[in-house]
Amino acid sequence: MQNRPAIIAVGRTKFGEHYEKEPEKLIEEAWLKASEEANMERKNLEACYLSDYFLPITNKLGLEEGFLSELTELHVPMEVTRSFSSALLNACNAIQAGRYNVVLVGGIEKMTDRWDKIRDDLMLLEDPWSYYAGCTPEANHELMLRAYIKRYGITCENLKKLNLALAQISVKNHLHATKNEYAQYQRKITTEHVLRARKDARKPLGLYDFAPISDGATALILTNEELAEKFTDKPVYILGASSATDYLTFSAREDMTHFLVSETAMKDALKTSGISLWDIKIAEVYDQSTVMEMISLEDLGFCERGKAWTYIHDSCKDYKGYYKMNGRKLFVNMNGGLKADGNPLGATGGAEVFEVFKQLRGEAGERQVKSDGKLKYGCVLELEGFGTKGYVYIFGRD
Amino acid sequence: MMSSEPIERRVSYLGDRLRGRRCQICGKEYFGTKDYCGNCGRKSFGKMVDIDLFYDKGKLEVCTFIDKPTNRFTKLGNYIYGIVSFHNGKIRVPGRVTDHIVKDDEEIDLSDFEGRNVVPRFRRRYSVGRSDVIPTISLAFTFADEYYPHQEYAIMKPNREYDAPGIVGYGVYTSKFRIRERNIERSVPFIDEDAITASVEAGKLALIHSRVHSSLVGKVYVGSESNPYAVKPIASKVAQVLKLGEEDGDMQGVDAIDTEFACKAATSMFKDAASLVSYPKSNIQYVMVIGADNSQAAPRDCPGGELDLFVGYGGCAYVFGKHDVIAEIEGWYSCTSDTPDFWRRDGEPYPMHGGRFTGDPAYFKHVRKASKKLMERLNLQVEDINYFVSHQPNVRFPVRVAKELGFKEEQYLPSLQVAKFGNTYSGSSPVGLAAVLDMAKPDERILIVSYGSGAGSDAYSLITTRQILDKRERQKLTVKYQADNPFLEYVDYTTYRRLKLGM
Repeated sequence: MQNRPAIIAVGRTKFGEHYEKEPEKLIEEAWLKASEEANMERKNLEACYLSDYFLPITNKLGLEEGFLSELTELHVPMEVTRSFSSALLNACNAIQAGRYNVVLVGGIEKMTDRWDKIRDDLMLLEDPWSYYAGCTPEANHELMLRAYIKRYGITCENLKKLNLALAQISVKNHLHATKNEYAQYQRKITTEHVLRARKDARKPLGLYDFAPISDGATALILTNEELAEKFTDKPVYILGASSATDYLTFSAREDMTHFLVSETAMKDALKTSGISLWDIKIAEVYDQSTVMEMISLEDLGFCERGKAWTYIHDSCKDYKGYYKMNGRKLFVNMNGGLKADGNPLGATGGAEVFEVFKQLRGEAGERQVKSDGKLKYGCVLELEGFGTKGYVYIFGRD
Repeated sequence: MMSSEPIERRVSYLGDRLRGRRCQICGKEYFGTKDYCGNCGRKSFGKMVDIDLFYDKGKLEVCTFIDKPTNRFTKLGNYIYGIVSFHNGKIRVPGRVTDHIVKDDEEIDLSDFEGRNVVPRFRRRYSVGRSDVIPTISLAFTFADEYYPHQEYAIMKPNREYDAPGIVGYGVYTSKFRIRERNIERSVPFIDEDAITASVEAGKLALIHSRVHSSLVGKVYVGSESNPYAVKPIASKVAQVLKLGEEDGDMQGVDAIDTEFACKAATSMFKDAASLVSYPKSNIQYVMVIGADNSQAAPRDCPGGELDLFVGYGGCAYVFGKHDVIAEIEGWYSCTSDTPDFWRRDGEPYPMHGGRFTGDPAYFKHVRKASKKLMERLNLQVEDINYFVSHQPNVRFPVRVAKELGFKEEQYLPSLQVAKFGNTYSGSSPVGLAAVLDMAKPDERILIVSYGSGAGSDAYSLITTRQILDKRERQKLTVKYQADNPFLEYVDYTTYRRLKLGM
């Protein structure tokens, strides 16, 4: 990648229910943390790229740019997109093009204010016909699982193993979140919790298979390679950044057992970064459900199709902090994933980047991964909608 | 909550009929009216033909159980939702399984549902406010191996023209739910059904039975006293969904109108239908008459609650014409008087009735008068009539009037359906007639006498033709099939009231 963008600081709020806080307080908190870390002033910012998925709908706040301008008393260019990764991609393009030198990327969501209708609002992630036919935010995850089971002919003992592997994903993510002070849920769960919730709901996936409803904000400061070293001696470079788009209507897609967008974006990001897949040791994937984490490992190429659950199952029998895939260690969702860290849509991608940033700098504290050899590269996958958009970033320290 | 009329128009236009497009170059199919094909690009402009899945059979590919629906679906409680494929997987749509109640303690094995054939059903989409437009959709499905089988709509050219107009085909639709009390069974709508959906279903079955091209139907009448709208016709929905009359853009070249006269709203129009197809300058080959009701009754402990023991749900549709007639109309007689025996004021949810006054001065007086007058006019004796059909508000009334007129059990029992379906109001005597047509032999005479409170009766004499036998095999959903179906599901009183109230 030419003229690589560099992250010099990250900041975030705790994810969860912030019923006492206005949305702008959250973004303020995230921004202040990032700016303190970089020891920089507002006036250094040349532009802001922000994201929220549905703040106008949940909180009747239409122009996020406006309240950020009021908050920062800045009048620089600001643009809002629907996911943190989308904001970051625009910021990367601007930095690479040389248009700006220092920009703020921020994401926010305030979902818990509208418990009364948040699941209806979440249907904005899907196509209207599914909604008209009675779809729920959870249903497509379950249909994908059903399609996966059929495609790969998984039955009897193997089916039990697959279901257990999915439960183990949730347990693993909760375990990771116990070491994450920002996580929404900092408590351990067991596979029994996951399985019982499924049984009670009489569904393939239960409460513990899905990411929660969350409030939260995340922010980072992006500069170019040259400038980065003036702010920090440990910049994290964006080596690959890519996105792809697929049909909004899940049922109209050719293949219902994987996300085309993840695969496409990953291939492209790897190409631009010039590294090979297995140089990546840490991956923050978009586990809106346990199925999504499983499928994503296949989509990103870490294991062959139809097999992720076997690796997950074997790795989690005696979990050592990573998945063992094809004989290699892969650290996945060290912050607890969307499942336990939380999923405030517009901010979620920021938390994924936050984690890889901290890990690559060796600043992840208790969560710091113990890789064989130096931890050099990490990747982030963020999805918008049910695989309608996919973003992949590859990060490195050099 | 308010409706968006333009969105409602567009969604129901596509979704009620499940309209799609097929690329004539490569054969790729799409749900929705796509203007060009993704495979073929610009050269496919103008080469996309309309298709629809309304009469097709789909396959439930994968499904899941919805225990916590989104807000507008909460009245459904829970349901099976999944992805349905058509045309060997060429086209896939999302869909909700309807007419299926999952019990609280029931274990669910999704593979019991997956891979099975399903039939699209026209239903209410979800709940809206009382003043909103009622949203509908056909992305609701039932299993083809259960109560409602898949039936092809195979259009045939007529081969015989008759001198007198008559019935060309018919269809009866009742739901798969029943309540059984005091020796009578009554049909209960599923929660997403109402008089509109029953009208469409009955009309669809009548088209399937008559094999008449829907574009040749020049007028449709829908008689009902439970239209969920005070103002907005059911008939326009029927015309659009069933594509009655010539399709021109997004409009149908058909006249459509709702009629209301308590339980004779439909039978009254039989003669109008027959007249229209006979009038040489009308250019109308076929006319459809539908009688459908989600018969209303106040709860038992409220005034008017006596009706709650008898009301049913269902619709019946007849196609009239002069070609390939199965029963010719020999003559008719109607009488009317201003008798206030049963009424419902505007804005009131349930009708009131005059108790004992609904008997002798109302039902019996009018049914007797119309029967006798018509028999007199046509110079008929009781023995000349093979079957007697009358309005059936309960079991007692039709039996008593038949006996008084001198009919024997074998003449009136075949039409007596009230103990199977309850009083389907505008559909009541039409369902009785359908039951008779389901079994009648050629050259038999049927006397049908409706009764509508308020009050009046229509009597018709019909004579069956040879073609009644040829057409019989075309309809799997006969009256008997629906009455004695092994897939009927019985509900308790509380569930019955909840389902009847709707979404």
